[in-house]
Order: sequence, then structure tokens, then C-alpha cells
Amino acid sequence: MRTVKTLKFKELESLLENIQKPGRYINKEIGTSSKNLSRIKDPCRIVFTALVFPDIYEVGMSNMGLQILYDIINRSSYFTAERVYSPWLDFEERLREQKVKLFSLENRIFLDCFDIIGFSAQHEMLYTNILNILNLGKIEIIAEKRGKIFPLVCAGGPAVVNPQPLSRFMDFMVVGEAEEVITPILEKVKACKKNCRDKKWFLKEIRKIDGVYIPDFYKFYYFKDGRVRSIEPGYKVKRAVVSDLDKFNIVTTPIIPSIKIIHERFSVEIMRGCRRGCRFCQAGITYRPVRQRNAVSLIKQSIEGIRNTGYDEISFLSLSSADYKDINYLVNGVLSNLKTENLSISLPSLRLDSFNIDIAELIGSGRKTGLTFAPEAGSQRMRDIINKGITEKEMIECAGIAFKKGWEKIKLYFMIGLPFEKYTDIEQIILLVRKVIYTAKDILPRQKLKRFRVNVSINAFNPKPFTAFQWAAQNSVKTLKEKFDYIIRNLPRRNVKLSWTSPYRSKVECALSRGNITTGKVIENAWKAGAKFDNWTDCFKFDAWEEGFRKAGADIDFYTTREIPEDEILPWDIVDIGTKKQFLLKEYKKSIKSSKLQD
Amino acid sequence: MKEVKLRFKFIKRSEYKYLSHLDITRIIIRAVRRAGVKIKYSEGFNPKPKINFSNPIPLGIESLAEYADLVILQDLDAMDFIDMMNTQLPKELKLVKSKVIASKTASLMSDISVCLYSFRLKTLSPGKGFKDGFDGEMGEKVKSHPDILNSILKLEFKKGYNVKDIVFLKLFGYAKIFKERNNRIFKFNNFFGFFQDLIKGYNVRVDYVLKEEMFIFKHNNLKTPMEVVN
Ligand code: SF4
Repeated sequence: MRTVKTLKFKELESLLENIQKPGRYINKEIGTSSKNLSRIKDPCRIVFTALVFPDIYEVGMSNMGLQILYDIINRSSYFTAERVYSPWLDFEERLREQKVKLFSLENRIFLDCFDIIGFSAQHEMLYTNILNILNLGKIEIIAEKRGKIFPLVCAGGPAVVNPQPLSRFMDFMVVGEAEEVITPILEKVKACKKNCRDKKWFLKEIRKIDGVYIPDFYKFYYFKDGRVRSIEPGYKVKRAVVSDLDKFNIVTTPIIPSIKIIHERFSVEIMRGCRRGCRFCQAGITYRPVRQRNAVSLIKQSIEGIRNTGYDEISFLSLSSADYKDINYLVNGVLSNLKTENLSISLPSLRLDSFNIDIAELIGSGRKTGLTFAPEAGSQRMRDIINKGITEKEMIECAGIAFKKGWEKIKLYFMIGLPFEKYTDIEQIILLVRKVIYTAKDILPRQKLKRFRVNVSINAFNPKPFTAFQWAAQNSVKTLKEKFDYIIRNLPRRNVKLSWTSPYRSKVECALSRGNITTGKVIENAWKAGAKFDNWTDCFKFDAWEEGFRKAGADIDFYTTREIPEDEILPWDIVDIGTKKQFLLKEYKKSIKSSKLQD
Repeated sequence: MKEVKLRFKFIKRSEYKYLSHLDITRIIIRAVRRAGVKIKYSEGFNPKPKINFSNPIPLGIESLAEYADLVILQDLDAMDFIDMMNTQLPKELKLVKSKVIASKTASLMSDISVCLYSFRLKTLSPGKGFKDGFDGEMGEKVKSHPDILNSILKLEFKKGYNVKDIVFLKLFGYAKIFKERNNRIFKFNNFFGFFQDLIKGYNVRVDYVLKEEMFIFKHNNLKTPMEVVN
């Protein structure tokens, strides 16, 4: 029988000497709900689940998804969930030096003592961290080589809508929303444990559950150049979707982090899905259909959450908050009920137009920190191509109103390297920024003009699976660099702050998101060459990735700068995302048409 | 509305010693909010709760005596306040005392000048060596360290079951050297480094450090922050 081994507090203490932010590793936050180990009579009857966010504590704790699963799992008397995050570089070094295996936060259970380890893959740039965590836990990274059933290793989250890149490492994956499927899966783990079943039995048992993808049960045939020739068997994995969001309440007693994290606030998901249909947007497809939570019960739960946590900020999350039909009612309802609590509200995805500037003002309540616009493209032509329904007139009008009401900071998000882009489109980005500055100069009094700031953020376009642009080519690093250069040279300096992501990083991200089975080897090689924390500018090592591709005998351009023919079988065709490929193709064609219309 | 200023004393133990001053500040403020105590906020664009803490303690050291002053907008008994707070706080971070104080009471940061730390020392070769050293040259060096209030340096040997190798040393270090002398803030880590180097020669190491109390100098006497508001 496996025993549950833990690290003693004394041992932890000796590891923490001279470690940065030891608070990341100590647990004891308010709101944790894992089972107390000393009260577990028979560990064989409890399923020990590790929920892993493969980034540091401050990032992982800011993510809502795992807290929801944590809550569901720990409510059951047969399951217990504990959290695991990536140790920062200094602590990793200490663990390796002292030969101590990675452990969970709550009871400091060593990773390899869990029955099941679930990774949250929020984006592709976390893949190497996943391998690093397994390795720190002294767990074999390759699924095939893990003979014994436990620990089972699985992954979920937005990135696994294309499960191929992680297939090499995972026993199974969950595509889509895990709330409803987590319990049936863990029930099977429990049965497996009780009756000493093997992995084959377990995987067979869960194969019919929505969203479950088991790499072992599919066979991919490839052409020599890496294109998929055929997939067997033919049936697809159906994305798991929660039909009635109101069945799952907001977690009103979340874990309250003791150290400062990225988002310190009570988060409330008000709606899932977005019906705007921007053609580059993956979330717009993979979170369909649009589902709203009931406003009355949201107000009740918001008040409860604020009272339970003591937070002074509440954040209403969705992909496009202004589309939530009762947004005014909700904001007013919460504010009027918590008047004395000095509460601030944030709506991170508020899409701005003159209508909801009123909401922006209502929630700004004095702190006019910054308004965000995401026009994504500079020209109307380009916005038509990507189907971003916002006009320049609207934006300028809205900025004008904002300046009149006292805002002095504006954020603008753009993408470059979009399909059918020309230099005139990029020029228009610069013009648009200028127009915003002129508007500010017209309206803002001198005193305020000094503080006036436009933050321009520019990202390279990544063609993502399950978007209308999934077939499109990414610009080469060279082209992207030229475009960035052009913008840097021509963007006004005064009052403007420019930020952008490295085109090398975008390239790797693109290659991973459109990856196939070989990508798993690439990830493994890159990690062995030192890649980790790829999302951290200072940690990202393109060399390691180049080596990763070379050693796997793969060409990174095959995944990135190649336009994929529409009749090619895609590695992610194995997933039934809920939207037909035909629909995406139709949208792609519309964008081509619209690019020609305005030539 | 009636404004009440409360002074409270709390402990910081075990895991919580790894949390910074700012972390503890946020944890306490959220606990006050959860307890439903009406806090007074500062005016302005970014209102902040009216709360002031005693001097930060170094990361990794347990404390039996941390202090804070909080202004609230309700009539609340100090004992009730302790109860309300302690239902919201973990056992590693608990209030132990509280008092309603005058609104013009001098702030903790400006008033506190002495901290009492106790060091548990472990030695492999117990007995005379260390004691003699302490009575002699080594002790002198400790006493003459600018951060140490030498008149109150105390060394206790703890006997008992098989622990005669454990020595307790109580050191009163300045939390802040008085302004008249110089403007130095007591840097625990500075002193600690010096001290560890010093005792190394005696085969002694520091096993455990505990911050026991903080004091305010009043009429040439040391008083705790709770005593001065009596
Ligand atoms: S980019 Fe935003 S508005 Fe557009 S579809 Fe995606 S989530 Fe919706």
C-alpha cells in the first residue's frame, strides 16, 4: 500500500533560509479546505488530488478556475484537494540541492504520493513548467513509462483544446469546462483505488465522460512532412460544457492569499462565452454558448463573498462584461448594498462605447486609473477583416467623454501581423494613437495634460486552433520585427508608453498552440535545454526552443509561417469544440472577401 | 459618528513569521473588515484604513508582541474587539490585548524605542567555556554593540532534563536609537550577523529567536505600549 508522506514544518524551515518570499511556500491561508491528514482514518478510501498551477504562487492564486475545482473536490467527504505551484528559481535550486521532492502547500504531501495530479494549462507557455514540476516531484514525465496506476497525471484548461502537444505526458486530458465532470472522474479513481484496478481499467471507465481525451486510445497517422494523414477511431471528444451556470455557485469562501498576489480581489464570474465573433479570438469559440448568471443571485453572492473575505475590491469577470444584460443593475445593486465598505469594482473586460462609459464612471468612483480599448487593428479595413465591430468615430467620441469626465490614462491594445495586413494598416495604428492624443489635448486642462498617458500595447497575431484564422500564416520573426520597428520609429513619444511582446516568444507560442504529436518531443527537448517560465520575459530562452525543435527533427516554420490548406486534417480535429469547422471556414472566407473589397 | 481609537497587541508565530510586515497589515485589515468592524478611512482618491503598526519585524522571527493602533467608527469594548478579531484570525496570528486609547496618543513607530529579543543558544561543548567568555571579552563585545542596551543584558542558563547545553540569552536591543544620540534604526539582521560570528568561536549557535516585547522609554523606565496608555 502507498503511504502518504509529508514534509515536516521543521524541514521546510531549514529549506526556507534566504529564500525570496518564503510566504509562497507556507500555506495556512484563510479559506483552505483540504482534509486534515490526522483525521483521515483510512487513506485508502480518500482520493488525494493535487491541483497544480504551473506558475508561481502569485500568478496561480490569481486564477479562478482552480479555486472552483478545489471547492468542489473538498466538499466531498471522499476526496481531498491540495494546491501546488511552481517554486521560483531559488527554491527550485534549494529543493534539487537538498534532494527534497516537491510537495503540496496544505499538508506538504510529496507530489508522488497523490493519487491524481491535475495541471491547469492556462496557456501554452506553461508547458515546460508542467514537465519541471513532474520532475521536481520525481515523477516520470512520459506517460507511457509510468507503469503504475498512481499517480495519474492529467491536464485541463484553455490550452488543451488542442490536446496533441501534451499527449506525450498525460494519462488523460479534460477539454472544456471541468465543473461537472470532475466528480465522476474522481469517483472512478476512488473505485480504482478500492478495488486495486489498473490504469487500463480506469481509462476505459472514464472514456465516455464528456471532455475526456485519452491519448492512448487514439492513433494518429502522419505524412513524412508532419501533416496528419488520418486519425483513428473517427469519433471525436466532445468539449465538456456546463449547461446551467447557476447550478454552480460562485465560490464565496475562496482561499485568501497571505502574500500579495497579482489580483487581490473577490472574483465573480458573471457570464461565460462571448457572442462578438472576432475572427482571431479562440475564447469566443471555445466558451460558447453565451450563458449569463442570474443577476439577483449574483448580487447576493457578491455581498456574501465580500463579507467572507474582507476584500475591498470585487471583480466581475466575463469575456465582454458590457454584454451582460443586467450590468447596470448588478453594479448598482452591489454598490448600494456595500456602501459603507469602501468597495471598488472592476470590470476587466469592459468594452468601451459611449453607452457604458457611464458604468465605467460608476465603478471608477474616484479612482480613474485607466480606461482600456482593444481596437486590435488601426484601420477600419483591418477591423472588418477581423470582425472587430468598433469604429474609430465611436472610439474617439468615447475617449472624449472619458477625458471630460476626468480620466487621464488610456490603454490601447493592438495586434500586428494579422492576415492580409499591409503597411497602410499599421500606419493607421499610429494615426489612431495620434487622434487620441489630439482629443486629449483639446479637452484636458493643462495641468492634467502633463499626467496624460496613452499606454499602447502591441502583440503579434497568433493563429489559434478553433478560430476562423486557424489556417492563416503567422508573420515571420523578421517581418514582425520590421513592423515593430516601424511603429517604434513613428509612434509619438510624448505621453505615449509602448509595450510589446518578443516576436520570438509569439512564434513559440504559435508553434505550441498549433502543435501536433511531435510538439511533445519539442517541449521535452526544450525543457531539457533549460526552458522554463517561458512566459517570463527574463526567463524565456529562444535558444532552448530552437534546440528543442532541431532535436525533434521538426521545423518551427511548419507550425507558424505556413498557411494551412483548408482540406488538411488538423491535429485538433479530434475535438468537437461545439462549433463546426465549416462555420469557421466560412468566416475565414468572409474575411478574405472583406480584404479584397477594400483593396 | 463616534470615533474610537484602539491599541491592540498580537502574536505572530509559526508559519506566519514568514509573512512580511505588509502582508500582516493586509491580513489584519481584511480580518477587521470580515469581523464587521466599521473602519475609519482616510479622505481622498485612494482611501486607506486608519491603522498604524509598530516597527516591522525581520522575516522569519516569531513574535509575542506586535502592536497596532486602529481608528474605528463604532463604540466597541476592547474585549469584544479581541473576540471579534480572533474568530477571524488563525491561531498563528491572534490578538492578546486591546485597549481604547486617547486619539492623540503618540504613534507606536515614534514611541517604541526598545525591543526585547531572546535567543536560545545551543552548544556542543556545554559549561564553562561559554559562560566564561560571556562574562569576559565576548560579553563585553555584545554589550558594547551600539544596538544593545547594555544595562539589561541577561544570560540565563537553563538546566533541566538533559538540556544543560541550552542557554537562554535575553538581549534588549534598541528598536531605534534615540534621536539625540544618532538616528539609527535597529537593524536586527546587522546585529544578528555580528552576534553569530562572535559566538561561533565558542562552539555555540543560535537555535531559535523570539521577539518577546517592545518598550517605550518613559521617565527613565521601560514601559510596554499597553502600559503607557494606562
Ligand atoms: S476578442 Fe473579446 S469581444 Fe472579441 S470575441 Fe473574443 S472575447 Fe469576444
